[in-house]
Amino acid sequence: MKYVLQRIGAMLLTLFMVMSLSFMVIRLMPMSLFENPEVPKEIQEKLEDKFHLNDPLPVQYFYFMEGIVTGLDFGISVKLRPGLDVWGIIVSRLPPTMLINFISLFISIPLGLIFGIIAALKRNTWIDSTISVFVILFISVPSFVFASLLQYVLTFVFPIFPTLYDSTATTLGAMMWSLTLPIIALSLSPIATLTRYLRGELIENISSDYILLARTKGLSRPQAIVRHAFRNSMMPITSTLVSLITGIMGGSLVVESMFAIPGTGGMLVKSIFAGDHFLTVAILIFYSAISLVTILVVDLSYSLIDPRVRVGGGK
Amino acid sequence: MAAENMNREVVLSVKDLKVNFRAYGGLVQAVRGISFDLYRGETLAIVGESGSGKSVSIKAILGILANNAIIADGSIMYDGMDLTKVKEDTFHEIRGNRIGLIFQDPLSALNPIMKIGNQITESLRLNRKMKKEEAKKVALELMKSVGIPEPEKRFDQYPFQFSGGMRQRIVIAIALAGDPEILICDEPTTALDVTVQAKILELINQIKKERNLSVIFITHDLGVVANMADRVNVMYAGKVVETGTAEEIFFEPAHPYTWALLSSMPDLHTKDRLDAIPGTPPNMIYPPKGDAFAARNAYAMKIDYEMEPPMFKITDTHAAATWLLHPKAAANGIEMPAGLKARIERMKRSGALNG
Ligand SMILES: Nc1ncnc2c1ncn2[C@@H]1O[C@H](COP(=O)(O)OP(=O)(O)OP(=O)(O)O)[C@@H](O)[C@H]1O
Ligand code: SF4
Ligand SMILES: [Mg+2]
Repeated sequence: MKYVLQRIGAMLLTLFMVMSLSFMVIRLMPMSLFENPEVPKEIQEKLEDKFHLNDPLPVQYFYFMEGIVTGLDFGISVKLRPGLDVWGIIVSRLPPTMLINFISLFISIPLGLIFGIIAALKRNTWIDSTISVFVILFISVPSFVFASLLQYVLTFVFPIFPTLYDSTATTLGAMMWSLTLPIIALSLSPIATLTRYLRGELIENISSDYILLARTKGLSRPQAIVRHAFRNSMMPITSTLVSLITGIMGGSLVVESMFAIPGTGGMLVKSIFAGDHFLTVAILIFYSAISLVTILVVDLSYSLIDPRVRVGGGK
Repeated sequence: MAAENMNREVVLSVKDLKVNFRAYGGLVQAVRGISFDLYRGETLAIVGESGSGKSVSIKAILGILANNAIIADGSIMYDGMDLTKVKEDTFHEIRGNRIGLIFQDPLSALNPIMKIGNQITESLRLNRKMKKEEAKKVALELMKSVGIPEPEKRFDQYPFQFSGGMRQRIVIAIALAGDPEILICDEPTTALDVTVQAKILELINQIKKERNLSVIFITHDLGVVANMADRVNVMYAGKVVETGTAEEIFFEPAHPYTWALLSSMPDLHTKDRLDAIPGTPPNMIYPPKGDAFAARNAYAMKIDYEMEPPMFKITDTHAAATWLLHPKAAANGIEMPAGLKARIERMKRSGALNG
């Protein structure tokens, strides 16, 4: 219990620092929004109001933090959706991003596990080598490269899929069809990451002494592997979940833009280029919060699964 | 005990076993033609330096050799079967149920994230189709018999909550769960404290008597052998170089390698280790042509570098593979070192053997 509170405390502290940093970025950014002649008068006034620009900096900081904590008030968009509440924009943009990110995650986990198991069991055969080649390829090449490759081959050379997200789709099927390529592009790297990790874990576990003991006490090899090696390999796998999720979210930034998917990822990229600072900062804070919560959940569940941590005591 | 053995039943018979490993540098000839019989109810010790092929031999018996192993020749007869030919799909019926194994390192032999109790009951439930409660009862009984206090409480604990000695007791309980008739102990105390060692050895001896087990006891510590074994095989570089009853090996050793082993054994009476064995064991990818021990042997003769010595029979139970026993060499009158001789005399007088 103390451990849980500690972890939550640490998470909140990190989030607090991220927000403070964001405040500094907004206030100290060179191309300030506050005295920018391009920004319409009424928005300037709104901003002045919101940020209490006439008060000293520490007071402004307090209002900024208070706004976020009490009302999810991250400010207003200045360039992309002038005058609109930033949080409202994020919420409206969330569904497509969540959709492709979750689907990608749920495809990646079983596929990564299956390929990892196959590679480990067929270790040092051509099957293992083939899988390893793809693993290296998918891990080292960023997802947007695959996205553009898929886009070129499967929408231009062989026009099987629509080039862009079909925002006018009337059926769920048509919409999903237009999301297929981005989802594939997003999933390759997490599948490969998981495959590589599980292969390593399994190979180590399969050659461990306790597998030998399991076999000498009368378990068949498959029994020993399933009951001991698999179970023991799954545990450290939970920690790769964090990198899978953050990897997918990161890949989503660019992939959404490329396929014109109206999600938060694409929005973040656009807002950066447009210099719409509040929007940028809000999405960044939002993404950090998601990552931190993921880390927290994974950490806590890990400590629930591993008896050495749960029961405490030794290693 | 030697005489008793003569009319006893052979439970396991290894004949001319050769095991090679495919490795990057070539074929590692880990076991190069060993033969021995295990009699019912006896403890047979296999002694030898690290790398002499002790573990490989018993892994061959249990069918758990690494993937790159090749059984090049020989047979392991057990209950009418040749274990070298038993298929992996059926071998698990023999392992655990008929032949049990106690490991060198109890710290890594237990699954770290599985409850102790489940590790003991697992094979009972899977292979004997026992009900949960029934298996638990058997396990608790076993835990008690290997000296685990408060077995009820310990049943639901994890390996990290046990000390090294307690873990080895659990490993012994696991080995006994299938009620085997042969128990193989591969250096069961090497990883443990000296004080714990003695207790585990005592436990193995006691279990052996209670269950009338036939035991193969592997060690590189001759001191342990003295307390455990009826008969001893001395292994060097993948071969058995001397075999005999414990008395014969300790009091009338014939092979210079056995002399060296005995000399390097710490002595309770004088506290001095006579001599460490000079040199290192040979490279098993290119084993030497003559006697593998020749290069480290102060008594080596010309023939030792050219031809391997056969086993020379000394008594019905005692034999050694050394040219020194050849009638021509015997005429040269080479004897064991004087220091060792004195030590053996001392051991004889003090009755150091349990025999
Ligand atoms: N899987 C393997 N691949 C290649 N060589 C191996 C393999 N397993 C064992 N060997 C070699 O076989 C030889 C005998 O090893 P073994 O484990 O039987 O020694 P040991 O007598 O049990 O020694 P120790 O006292 O250290 O346990 C060694 O030279 C070792 O390097
Ligand atoms: S055969 Fe020769 S080298 Fe081998 S132990 Fe005997 S004397 Fe030494
Ligand atoms: Mg060994």
